[in-house]
Amino acid sequence: MTAAEIQGSGISVRGLTKSFGSFLAVDDLTFEVRPGRVTGFLGPNGAGKTTTLRMLLGLIRPSAGEALIGGRRYADLSSPMQVVGAALEATGFHPGRSGRDHLRVLAATHGIPDARVDQLLELVGIPAAARKRAGDYSMGMRQRLGLAGALLGDPDVLLLDEPANGLDPEGIRWMRGFMQHLARDQGKTVLVSSHMLSEVEQTVEDVVIIANGHLVREGTMEELHGEPSTLVRTTDPAALAAALDRAGIGSAVEDGGAALRATTGDLARVGDVALAAGLPVHELRPLRTDLERLFLQLTEAPEHRNRNLAGGELVGGDPDGAAPPVRAAGDGPPVGQPAGDGPARAGARHTDVPAPAEETR
Amino acid sequence: MTRLVHAELRKYLTTRLAWSMPLTMFLLGGIFAAVQGLVLVLLGEIPTGAGGEVIRPSELFDDLTLARMVYTGAVQMGYLLALVLGILTMSGEFRHKTITATLLSSPRRGSLIAAKVISLALVVVLNSLAFIAGSLLGGGITLALGDAALFPEPVELTTTLLRMVLVLVLWGLMGFGLGVLIPNQVIALFVGVGVTLLIEPLLGFGLTFVEQLADAARYFPSQASTSVLDLFAGVDEQTAQQMGAADPLTWWVAALVLLAYAAVMTVLGWVVTARRDVS
Ligand SMILES: Nc1ncnc2c1ncn2[C@@H]1O[C@H](COP(=O)(O)OP(=O)(O)O)[C@@H](O)[C@H]1O
Ligand SMILES: [Mg+2]
Repeated sequence: MTAAEIQGSGISVRGLTKSFGSFLAVDDLTFEVRPGRVTGFLGPNGAGKTTTLRMLLGLIRPSAGEALIGGRRYADLSSPMQVVGAALEATGFHPGRSGRDHLRVLAATHGIPDARVDQLLELVGIPAAARKRAGDYSMGMRQRLGLAGALLGDPDVLLLDEPANGLDPEGIRWMRGFMQHLARDQGKTVLVSSHMLSEVEQTVEDVVIIANGHLVREGTMEELHGEPSTLVRTTDPAALAAALDRAGIGSAVEDGGAALRATTGDLARVGDVALAAGLPVHELRPLRTDLERLFLQLTEAPEHRNRNLAGGELVGGDPDGAAPPVRAAGDGPPVGQPAGDGPARAGARHTDVPAPAEETR
Repeated sequence: MTRLVHAELRKYLTTRLAWSMPLTMFLLGGIFAAVQGLVLVLLGEIPTGAGGEVIRPSELFDDLTLARMVYTGAVQMGYLLALVLGILTMSGEFRHKTITATLLSSPRRGSLIAAKVISLALVVVLNSLAFIAGSLLGGGITLALGDAALFPEPVELTTTLLRMVLVLVLWGLMGFGLGVLIPNQVIALFVGVGVTLLIEPLLGFGLTFVEQLADAARYFPSQASTSVLDLFAGVDEQTAQQMGAADPLTWWVAALVLLAYAAVMTVLGWVVTARRDVS
């Protein structure tokens, strides 16, 4: 990434540290958010996501390091709402003030007209409720109102802290679509935090994963997924492996030798190779990384045990037990790939974490 | 800055406080001015405690002094309410966690505090108008019933009323400083009202026993406020002393004293706010 790009509307966090008394909430955190992309900011509860976002926004003073948006500190922006929009967790509304008036107050600081306020209320879908007291709002309405506030100044950068929290499934679907609209159609830079990878995995392009205030992984979603692979079941896996090898496709036995995992996402080619080799195909489907399990492994690895959980009942103590139930887990190393550090991960900056576990689904 | 002040005014105008506070100001102003009028004009006798002596205000005071006393009779209620307004200005933001949205829209905290101070002063002036209207109504009725002059010497009387506005504004600013220093709204209100109604009078009473400090009580907020109003301008000293207004500060010195309280608290609050983590 060039400096110019960061200047534009990227986010740059360098050596960011925050201690509350003796408690290190964020510990020497460094990462970049690329402009024009949706980045998931992930970590279990208490990992330090909200604290990091609040430092980015000048609400919390870092103990060390810096957090810049488009190369500048938030407090130095002359019209901050026109550069960055933020919807933070635990943002309050005066219970006696209507949602619309809440926005009108914010709008007044930037000379934004009431028409824009009404336009946004329409956009987030609460035009009618907006004239009622905010004290009576449901969690979903508060989230939508917070989002409207973030968008008031039509900023290029959006920071959304757990926007799906407290939403019903319909609300979550709406929020997803909305974020996609902002990113794809309007080219905004979006940093969205969540304690659940699955909540954002369809929406985000990049991920920054933290645990206990540390960075544990930074990269694109593809890098997280790892190299695409295909499961193929046939009568003679060894013969098919040889045929695939001649076609330049690596493979490994899977499912206790009854199937192969071909290291390609091109299902048609695998099928063609099998046909050419005269082998029947009994099953052919893409294999995906079980991201939820990977996320747990990353964030609950022994060295990242959640400091917020007291005592021995640690999820990280038994990652297998905590992972969602899965069918036959094949753990054979892929042919032609050294176990543990595949090429797929080369691009991602990562720390001392185990290789992503791949599961059949 | 104009925009920030505009936003702060909008903040005030979009909650119930926008009409409940002026209404309260109007009613309390009316009631307490009427009570003052009742005592000074209609009953016409004030026991001084010393050997059953009574003061007959209508004999002692000229029309102007009488009207001044009646129309400012509710001033303590007025400045307490102004204090509450000032406290709510900042601590309300913490109580309802609106401070996050506020700081996101105006991240320079110094400018924010300045905007709040300006808008608070404007809001208190507006509320003072309701307060004065109430006082004029309540006090006026009793003056009329007692056959006393309603508005003698308009210039002097108006000056007194304007000084009352000044007192209320200064109390609003003191409340603001308090609210900035003590973000917990309940505690801030408790401390503010408690100090005014309880601690200050007790301390003032205690100080009268200490020779060297006896004069210090003049600098207390409530006593300084009375000095600003300068109610006993036309009264001889002995009577003034009987009324409990011994040796007051010059009105503008008293105003500066109140301003100093407000400034010190606001600056302290400013320093604290500038560094405070908002999470
Ligand atoms: N003001 C604060 N004082 C003390 N500890 C805090 C404060 N704010 C956050 N923490 C602690 O810092 C850690 C990170 O919190 P947070 O950033 O809210 O995590 P996340 O948003 O990832 O759930 C938590 O353990 C939390 O208890
Ligand atoms: Mg959080």
